[in-house]
Amino acid sequence: MAPSQTSHVPTLDSLIKAFDSQSLEASVESLIFLLKRRQVKGDECAKATAHILCQVVTKSTWHDVDQLISRVQITGSRLARAAPMEPVIGNIVRRVLGLIRDEASEDRNADDGGSDAGSDIQALPASANLPQKPHPLPFRPPPSVAAAGLQVSKSMFNLLSVADTSDSLMTGASTPMSQAQPTSMHALRSEVKDGIDEILDEINQADDQIAGFAEIQIHPGDYVLAYQPTKTVERFLVKAASKRRFTVIFAGLDSPAPGSAEPPYAALRKRLNAAGVETINLASNGLMAYIPRVNKVIFGAKAVYQNGGLLVNSGCCIAALAAHEYLKPVIVLSPVYKFCPEDPSDEVLRGELGNPSSYVSYANGPAVEALDIESTITEYIPPELIDVYLTNLGPQTQHHLASILADHYKTEDINFAVHLAEP
Amino acid sequence: MSKQGAKGGAAAGAKGKKAAKPGAEEKSEDVLQAVIVADSFQDRFRPFTLERPRCLLPLANVPVIEYTLEFLASNGVQEVFIYCGAHSEDVEHSIHESSRWGPGSPLSPFSALEFIRVSDATSIGDFLRDLDKRSMISGDFILVHGDLVSNIQLDAALARHRARREANRDACMTVVLRSVGTQPHRAAKARGITPVYVVDPTTGRCLQYEETHPLQSEHYLNLDPSVFSHPQFEIRTDLVDCGIDICTPDVLALWSESFDYELPRKNFLHGVLKDHELNGKMLYAEILDDGYAARASNLQMYDCISQDVLERWTLPFVPDSNLIHDQTYRRVKDGSYLEDHVVLERGAKVTRSAIGEGTAIKTGSAISSSIVGRRCKIGKNVRIENSYIWDDAVIGDGASVVHSVLAGSVVIGANAVIPEGSLISYKAHIDNGVQLPSKPPARISVLTDDKRVAETDVSLVGKGGKGALYEVVHGEEESDDEEGEERDPTVLQSSLIYSLEGLNLSTSSISTLASDDEYDSDDDVSMAGSLQTSESGRTRDRLSSFASDDASKPESFHNDAVHGLIDALRADDSDDFDSAKLEFMGLRLANNASDSAMRRAIAVAFVRRAAELLRPDQGGLEPTKAASESLTSKKGAVKFIKEVGVGGEGVTEQAEFALALQKALLGVRDLEAARGGALLAALLQKLYSLDVLEEEGILAWWADKRAGEGAQMDALKEKCRVLVEWLENADEEGSSEEEEDDEDDDSE
Repeated sequence: MAPSQTSHVPTLDSLIKAFDSQSLEASVESLIFLLKRRQVKGDECAKATAHILCQVVTKSTWHDVDQLISRVQITGSRLARAAPMEPVIGNIVRRVLGLIRDEASEDRNADDGGSDAGSDIQALPASANLPQKPHPLPFRPPPSVAAAGLQVSKSMFNLLSVADTSDSLMTGASTPMSQAQPTSMHALRSEVKDGIDEILDEINQADDQIAGFAEIQIHPGDYVLAYQPTKTVERFLVKAASKRRFTVIFAGLDSPAPGSAEPPYAALRKRLNAAGVETINLASNGLMAYIPRVNKVIFGAKAVYQNGGLLVNSGCCIAALAAHEYLKPVIVLSPVYKFCPEDPSDEVLRGELGNPSSYVSYANGPAVEALDIESTITEYIPPELIDVYLTNLGPQTQHHLASILADHYKTEDINFAVHLAEP
Repeated sequence: MSKQGAKGGAAAGAKGKKAAKPGAEEKSEDVLQAVIVADSFQDRFRPFTLERPRCLLPLANVPVIEYTLEFLASNGVQEVFIYCGAHSEDVEHSIHESSRWGPGSPLSPFSALEFIRVSDATSIGDFLRDLDKRSMISGDFILVHGDLVSNIQLDAALARHRARREANRDACMTVVLRSVGTQPHRAAKARGITPVYVVDPTTGRCLQYEETHPLQSEHYLNLDPSVFSHPQFEIRTDLVDCGIDICTPDVLALWSESFDYELPRKNFLHGVLKDHELNGKMLYAEILDDGYAARASNLQMYDCISQDVLERWTLPFVPDSNLIHDQTYRRVKDGSYLEDHVVLERGAKVTRSAIGEGTAIKTGSAISSSIVGRRCKIGKNVRIENSYIWDDAVIGDGASVVHSVLAGSVVIGANAVIPEGSLISYKAHIDNGVQLPSKPPARISVLTDDKRVAETDVSLVGKGGKGALYEVVHGEEESDDEEGEERDPTVLQSSLIYSLEGLNLSTSSISTLASDDEYDSDDDVSMAGSLQTSESGRTRDRLSSFASDDASKPESFHNDAVHGLIDALRADDSDDFDSAKLEFMGLRLANNASDSAMRRAIAVAFVRRAAELLRPDQGGLEPTKAASESLTSKKGAVKFIKEVGVGGEGVTEQAEFALALQKALLGVRDLEAARGGALLAALLQKLYSLDVLEEEGILAWWADKRAGEGAQMDALKEKCRVLVEWLENADEEGSSEEEEDDEDDDSE
């Protein structure tokens, strides 16, 4: 019998599989420790957050919107604290909170006026060339909708959920939400769940959508410098390669994983070469020499802050600086869910420290003792070095970031973690 | 909660609710089990371990066992069995209380976590034999120690282990090792013992295991001849053994078969590899080049790992990961980590350190490369370097603490000086202005070794102080029985390794990390120190013999051999010496004792017996009678001395034996020099008449400078003058032919 290759190491996938078999609290706890142990990191965080919040919505007990919101806030802030260097977690939490608020007010609207209150607010910036989504992204409802607190419900659902009335009135009487007539929490639950599924779809499709702009951004004969290409950048380049002939220069090479003889980015280079795109691997000290030849610099961001600054893998900043000096455009690929409605924290500005072993082997005794090794794995890029933010909603400049943020987050959710008392 | 829960819970848990947790794509796949040995039967962390078990001592403000559990959780282990020895209630309590690990807690990443207590366990071997009896282990399991700090992902190693096991049922264990390079390294330096692995690089099979250490007399290893049957093998000493073993249940059976194995490495690994022909088992070594793994197995390693944690080698197990729920560490400037509610006054400087919640540091203080616990109060202008300060400590203004460990609730007075290597245990107070001794560094505890409250030593800790110098009571046999539950005497007695490592801790300090030279000098200090103290203690005895050189062989061999021989000599019922001889030779082979060690043991045994016979209560025999009684009462004893004790025809051997006798006499208590000398003369004469020693041998001894070193030796020697003169005369009377014959003998 062939030996089993089953891995015991917990991952996000194994956690998601285990959702059904364990309690919500256990799932949250597992995810928190997956985050703390860096077994879930980077782009996975967004997905993980959405999944776990979906569990919170479906599994936890709540009787009205306020309770649901506070549940999501509490879980969200625990996750955010577990991984302070993954701001995208907070973004997803804010999105879900906004979603809940929208759905709740929408429900009231629907009860009042008709069947599909949401369908007439489809307009999205630059949505023309996007695949049409089943539902619109949540954005701020008109004030009139929020104000419409109807006292009498016409929905059949309410016949069944009369008992909820007293509960919801007692628990959160002070906020406008709870003054809404109790609609069926059941319906809300499934609507919010659908909404989270949409967010998940958005997360999954973002890379493809960004890649859809590849042919606009990359012109034939371009020399494109891709600094430490992330998955998003890879997909972008591959997509561009199917339409254009250009040259890709890879810089900021990671040292190959021990044991693998493959040169860096070998798989990606093969795919690009197959499509007829030339690729060049640059040693890091060759970066400056090539910048004059390069037409544009491309890298992926871990997060984009409201001032336009970026959280990126360390090393990108030097490429951006070099490009800036030579007036070469710097294009950042970042899906909208990575846009943070906040300013970078001190920790982000300082950068996250990784394991020194990427620079000095632990086996190198004298060096270990003699050197103080600070191996930063993330760094902050100030906004003035960035020219174009290529999102899944299309290319944006710094000045339009505010409107994207305003479309996606509600002001009351921006500091969702701050409202909570220290646990 | 322990025993019964263990039996029921494990089986149920295996198929229970969380069978579908990580890695359950295949139903047939066994859940991954792990066994934590949370007690190592050592006292290297004394005096701290008097109050708390070692695995709960804080390392970077997190109990050590948390790292181990987290390591297992990160590898997807689902069932954990913890074997506790000392302080087992404390360990159980702390684990049961924690919502993260508690067996009943739904949050625990483990589907089962059981404590197993073994009441009469005296070694790790006992634990594993007990585990075998319980038959709770269903498949491969990971065996780790409760002091492991590691971020290694075992996936690949597990997969390869399984592949080997599928291919060959006899591949029963994989030892996970981390290579640390050939250059001296702090982790490698701190371990004291260097494991030597002989490995077949093509298959990873482990062929032989040995241990070396700086104090051993023979600086070589014997390779097993079977090693050479492999086309290729590597002898590696550049490995840190972090005690992670991937085992099949067969391993437990092996432990059960070998009832006397105590240590997983020295005994088990060595033994199983040596007896490969018998058991047919194959063990493999998985040598990793990346990842971090180390055991906080002694204070030096504790120091080393703490620094590694601060430098983030152990990522993700670093302070700002906040492994414990209520921790709130953040990384701030200068490579430091601060928790919430840390008050740093202006002018206080913290570099490369971690400071726990609620600690207040007043102005002018400088803390570097240190870890400070929670709620500590640190005064003005305090200097703290490379130190580990646990919760609730109070340090007065102007004090200085360098490379020391201050346990919980320690109070250091103003302007006190705590020099390198000091260990100050729980609740001790050091008065204002006291300067602790730096050589040897002080170990201060408010408890004595047997857990009684120590009488405060005012000269050491000052008038307002509390605590006394902590000394390990090694000297008296009886003291062991009293503290039996705490520390197991047999391990210390029977095994060189533990007593040697005990030496590392008991006399050398954590400061031995600092440099090579210091390491060496520290050893010297420790040996000198041991010479001053008790002469018949187990550890010390071996050391004094080492320092006085002539037999630098394990004291375990010496003690066992001497006891065996004396018992045989004393025995009234039989006059058979053969069994004693057999036993002696067995011991000799088992310990690979050198000739000089044997000579010394035999000399000591016979001299002690003879000296015993001199005593009034034993008959009060005359020296001559006593000598002849001790030598000739048992059949074969004389032959034994001639063949084994002297061990050769040469004059040198004979002189050595005479010298050994003389030294042995020195070691006999309650024997005044005059009678000792008389006894020596009588013994020599008797041996001469029995043809064991020849006159040349005795004369060579007489001429040997070593025989006259020191007043006591000289006094003994003087008593033999008559004998020697008589021999010289006899020699002159002897014919010249004899002389020639003897010279031929010598040259052979």
